[in-house]
Amino acid sequence: MNFKFQIFKFSITLPSILTALMLFSGNTFAGLTIKANHDNIKIDFFYHGSTVSVKGASDPGVDLIIKITSPDGHEVLKQKGKAAGFLWMNTGTLNFEHTPNLYSLHSTKKLEDILSREEAEKYIIGYSALNRHIEIKPVNNESEKATWFKEFIRFKESSKLYAASAGKIAVTLKDGRQEYYILTDWPYQAPPGDYFVTVHAVKDKKVIETAEANVHVEQVGSVKLLAQMAENSAATYGIISILIAVAAGFGVGLIFKKGGAH
Amino acid sequence: MNFMYLYLPVALTSINLLIPVGLGLAVGLLSGLFGVGGGFLMTPLLIMFGIPSSVAAATDSNQIVAASTSGTYAHWKVGNVDFKMGLYLLIGGFIGGLAGVQVIKILKATGNVDFVIKMTYVIMLGIIGTYMFVESLQSMKKAKNQSQESGVKSQESGLTRFLKALPFQTRFEKSGVTHSLLVPLVFGVFVGVLAALMGVGGGFIMVPVMVYILRMPMHVVVGTSLFQILFNCIEVTFLQAYTNHNVDFILAILLLFGSTIGAQVGTKFGRKLKADQLKIILAGIVLVVTVKIIFELTLTPSLLLAQGGGH
Repeated sequence: MNFKFQIFKFSITLPSILTALMLFSGNTFAGLTIKANHDNIKIDFFYHGSTVSVKGASDPGVDLIIKITSPDGHEVLKQKGKAAGFLWMNTGTLNFEHTPNLYSLHSTKKLEDILSREEAEKYIIGYSALNRHIEIKPVNNESEKATWFKEFIRFKESSKLYAASAGKIAVTLKDGRQEYYILTDWPYQAPPGDYFVTVHAVKDKKVIETAEANVHVEQVGSVKLLAQMAENSAATYGIISILIAVAAGFGVGLIFKKGGAH
Repeated sequence: MNFMYLYLPVALTSINLLIPVGLGLAVGLLSGLFGVGGGFLMTPLLIMFGIPSSVAAATDSNQIVAASTSGTYAHWKVGNVDFKMGLYLLIGGFIGGLAGVQVIKILKATGNVDFVIKMTYVIMLGIIGTYMFVESLQSMKKAKNQSQESGVKSQESGLTRFLKALPFQTRFEKSGVTHSLLVPLVFGVFVGVLAALMGVGGGFIMVPVMVYILRMPMHVVVGTSLFQILFNCIEVTFLQAYTNHNVDFILAILLLFGSTIGAQVGTKFGRKLKADQLKIILAGIVLVVTVKIIFELTLTPSLLLAQGGGH
């Protein structure tokens, strides 16, 4: 019985180990490495964004693409248009599906010079690939979609949540390995959550290796307490907000009354 | 870490401390001077500084609670609050607010809500601003020539005669006027509907109503308007916090730090100005806001997408 159990255990563990090895080799085989220096960003009262440096090593002679994203979500945005032919106002809402809230992309060279369109779409690299990945509703045709996608990118870039650069990754050769480094601004507009930092090694317009790290952003201390209270104890939060406002109003009134008596 | 910036837990953004404190001070000053909540100025300014629109509107009403408490208290101390009149306007305003919300629902269903709101804004602000401006200019001129025309008695308008003929006439001691109870109630409803439609407290509509229709003295108008705004904003703050979770307490504190002081300074400064001077400055501000809205409506916006929320 003990022997049977051993075989049973072996038959379960061997495929698991092989699968794990295969998965592992898919990500970091040949030693593409990645490390984000700041993998746990804490939001306190004095938080005003941060910086995240991404570094690692790859085989020499490959180009690199670093992508920082949040998981896909959806956004509902107000759409401005002309009413009565000449007045700009909100004319409707647009739903953007499968959109990452944060999308920051950096590459050693211009994307179109180092990556094929198919590969870019497969790994959702670059705004053109993102355009095909995102669904916008309601739009009548592709050109309308393209127009609103362009507006969406402008909207996200204006709040620093989307960014793209080429040639800003520093690359050096050391002991036969290619080391890379980039320092990126982490926008304070990025809400708490989990973010993925992915590096793709690219050769002959194809992604040949991928490695990934995570950045976790969380509220701490009183910021967390207040945010949770606003959400979970809304009535108490509302009453406290009103009472403090009334008390502050009276308080300042009393101070001025004293000041005015002189 | 930068001590000039503070992170806002509900707005989920960081802001330079001086911005909300400075904005609060400026808007509080207007509040103490003219008896307006200043929502029509504050909310767009907050959005301009990166606060999501729904949080900006909700937090502003929280801040107005503090500024109007401070202002009402300062005006009450010098006997400028007509509580009786304020109460009737408040009841009317409450009913009007409920009706206004229903009107918005109907407009939303027809898809015309934004057009109607913007047009109401421009037309109401334009008419009120121009009327106040012209009227106070004329009355300032009249004051200059008063010695020559001192015997001329002002004629009663048709509206005044109609208001006097209404039942339930009662004396409002503090304001020194006699009106039917129905008058503040009905005008309260009217302002309440407009305020709900325009998404603002309605102080800048209420003030002209009290000055020109209810014929109350300007200084009592300011105190009574603040009293009425205080209760309106308490209700709005609670509803916003309870149903939409978008009152940012920290932002409100920064704003009210400026606005409570501004309201006191405004009240003191206002007492040094004559009623006509106050009216003409308010008319000027209302007209500037009207022009700003007209520009916004006609110039191509820099971004064609905006965050959802609000109405």
